[in-house]
Amino acid sequence: MRNEKKVSISRRDFLKNSAVAGTGLALGAVGFPAVLRGAQPPEIPIGHLHPLSGSLAFDGQEMRKGLLLAVKEVNEAGGIKSLGGAKLKLLDADSEGKPELAISSMERLAKSGAVAVVGCYQSSVTLVATQQAEKLRIPFVVSVAVADEITARGFKYTFRIQPNSEQMASYTLKYLREIADAANTPIKTIAYLHDNTAFGQPLAAHVKQLAPKQGLELILDVPYSPAAPDVTTEVGAIKASGADIVLDTGYFGDGVRVYKTMKDLRLQAKAVLGLANGAFSHPKFVQELGSIAENVMDGNYHANPLSEITKRAFANYKKEFNADMGSGTIFPYMAVYVIADALERAKSTKGEQLREALAKTDLKNHILPQGPLVFGPDGQNVNAAPVIMQVQNGSVKVVWPVAYADGKPIFPVSM
Amino acid sequence: MTASFVAQSLLNGILIGGVYALVAVGLNLIFGVMRIINFAHGSLMMLGMFTTYWLVSLLQVDPYLSIFLVIPILFGVGVCFQQVVIHPIMRAPEHNQLLVTLGVSLFLDNLAVVLWSPDYRVMKTAYADINYYVGDVSVSLVRLLAFVLAVGCTASLYFLLKKTDLGKAIRAASEESEGAELTGINVKKVYLISFGIGSACAGVAGAAVAPFFPVYPYVGNLFTITAFVVIVLGGMGSFVGAFAGGVIIGVADSIGAMLLPAAMKSVISFSLFILILLFKPSGLFGGRIG
Repeated sequence: MRNEKKVSISRRDFLKNSAVAGTGLALGAVGFPAVLRGAQPPEIPIGHLHPLSGSLAFDGQEMRKGLLLAVKEVNEAGGIKSLGGAKLKLLDADSEGKPELAISSMERLAKSGAVAVVGCYQSSVTLVATQQAEKLRIPFVVSVAVADEITARGFKYTFRIQPNSEQMASYTLKYLREIADAANTPIKTIAYLHDNTAFGQPLAAHVKQLAPKQGLELILDVPYSPAAPDVTTEVGAIKASGADIVLDTGYFGDGVRVYKTMKDLRLQAKAVLGLANGAFSHPKFVQELGSIAENVMDGNYHANPLSEITKRAFANYKKEFNADMGSGTIFPYMAVYVIADALERAKSTKGEQLREALAKTDLKNHILPQGPLVFGPDGQNVNAAPVIMQVQNGSVKVVWPVAYADGKPIFPVSM
Repeated sequence: MTASFVAQSLLNGILIGGVYALVAVGLNLIFGVMRIINFAHGSLMMLGMFTTYWLVSLLQVDPYLSIFLVIPILFGVGVCFQQVVIHPIMRAPEHNQLLVTLGVSLFLDNLAVVLWSPDYRVMKTAYADINYYVGDVSVSLVRLLAFVLAVGCTASLYFLLKKTDLGKAIRAASEESEGAELTGINVKKVYLISFGIGSACAGVAGAAVAPFFPVYPYVGNLFTITAFVVIVLGGMGSFVGAFAGGVIIGVADSIGAMLLPAAMKSVISFSLFILILLFKPSGLFGGRIG
C-alpha cells in the first residue's frame, strides 16, 4: 500500500512539473517571433557521462570543462558547416562514479536526443555505458578509461582516442629504458605500487609481462585500495624493496596521499615514475605539493606541447576556467573535435551514418603526441602513445620522446 | 622484512589509530547519550577540515590554534543539527533516524561541493614536512600531534563526564532520560550539548588530520565506516574503549598490510570485529557511558 501511495504522489508531482515546463515552453513559443526561430540553425545535442558528484567529482568536473571548451570553440568557428552551421550542445549526465547508473543515464541521454556520447573517466562505468551505446546504436567516444577490454568486445559503436593499458605500459617502459640508457644509468629492478581497481590491475598485468623485454625485473607488486585513508605500510614495503625504479598508478586523491607518504618515509630510488598516474603530471598536483613534487615523472597521455593547436587550447582553457588544463582533459576536448569532424563528413546526425564516418576518421590536425588519428577495426586509436613527463621548476614538462619534448629528462633523480 | 619496516608499520598503525579513535569518540558520545547512529559524523569532520583549511590559507592562522575556533563553530553546527534535524525524530524508529542522518551527510557533502568545488586541497604549513628519524623509522610531526590531540580529547571528555555536573547530567540522561527529567535535569538541553560536543570532536579530528590529509568534500567517508567498527570493537558508549578500539584497528590494519596481500589488508581488523560481535557483543570495554 505504502509503495502505491508513493508512486501516485511522484506521478502527481511529475504531472505538475511537466505542466509547468509545458507552460514555459508554450510561453517561449509565443514570445519569440517565428522568423527569428526559423533563422536559428538546429542544435546537435552531444551527451556526456562522467562522475560529476561523488569521490571522483573533481576529475569528472574537469572532463566536463574540456568538453565545454571544445563545444564553444567548434560553435564559434561556425558549427557543423555541412549541416547548415548547426551548433553543438552539451547534455550532462552524472554517473556518480557508479557503474549501475550507467544504463539509465545512457537511456536518458538517448531520450534527450544525444547523437553521440562521451564518457566515462572510469573503466568500470565505461564498460557498462559502451554496452548500452551499442544497443542504442549511439556512437560512443571514450574520454578517459584505460581498460583494454573496452575496445576488445567487437563493438561497432565504441571509439577510444587515448592509449589503452597495453599501449600505456609498453611505451612507458620502453621510454624509461631509453631515458636510462641515454643517461648511462644502469637500471634493473622495479617495484610497482598501484590501485586495486579495474584501472591498476590490468596495467600491473602488462608491467609484469613487459618488464623483462626492457631488461627490467618487477621485484615487488603492491596493490592498494584507493579508499584506504593510510598507505604507509604499502609505501614502506616498496621502500624496503630497494628497487631502482618505483612505479606508481592511482587516481588523483590517493596519488597525492601516496606521494606525500613516499616523501615522509624518505623513499630512495633512481626515479619515482607514474604509470598513467592521475596525480603526478597534473598541474594541480604541482601547485598543491610545491617543491616536494619536483622531478617526479609520469608516463601518461598528454598533449603534444610543441603543436600550435595545443598552445591555443591551453590558453583558451586558462582564460575560460582560470586553471591549467590537465592531461586527462585533453581527451574529452579531442573527443568533441573527432565527433564534429565525423558529423561534418557524415552530413547527418543518424547513429549509423555517424558511426560510419567515425570509423573512417583520419585526423591529422590534432593536439596529441602521435601521427594521424585513425581508429582500428576495434575502435582503438592505433597510433595512440603516452609521453614521459617530469615536474621541473614547478611545471610539467614533456621529456620523452624527443620529438614531442619541451624539456630534457633529469635522470637519475636525486631524492 | 626488515626490523625498521616492521617498526615503521606498527608506529604508523598506532598514530593513525589515534585519529580513528578521535573520530570515533564523538560518534560514541552521540550514540551513548541519544542512541542516534550518526552517519553524518564524517561530514562534520569534513567541515572541521575545511574550517581549518580556510583559516590557515586565508587568514594564516596556525593550524593548531585554529582548533580553538573549530571547536565553537562545530559545536554550533552540532547544536543546530540536533535542534533542527534530530530533535523532531527522537522518538522515530531507528532505521528512520539512520536514514535522516545519512541524508544530512549527503546534503553536507554536496553542499561542500557547491560551495568549494570538488577540488583536492593540500594545506601548506611549515609543520607538514617535519619528520623525526629514529634510525630508519620516520615519525611525522603532524601525525604525532594528531595522536596527542586524540589522547587529550579523550582524556578531557572522560574528565568532563566523570567529574563535572554537566557530565553527571549527561550520564543520567543517557541511562534513564525520563528519570533524569524527573530530577530536574533539562534533558533536551543535555541532548543539544552532547550533540554539540560530539560534533566538536569530529571537528577537532578534522583539524588534526588536515595538515597531512588532502581536504575535499567527500573525505569524511573514508573515516565514517572505520569509526563505526572502532566503537563496536571498543564498546558503544565507552571512551576508553573507543580509544583502545581505534589503536587496535590502526595496528591491525598495519599488520594486515605487512603480512597479507593488499586486497586482504582489512581481514585482520574485520575478523577481530566479527569475533567481538560473536563473543562479546557489548565490545571490549562495553557497558555504560563513561
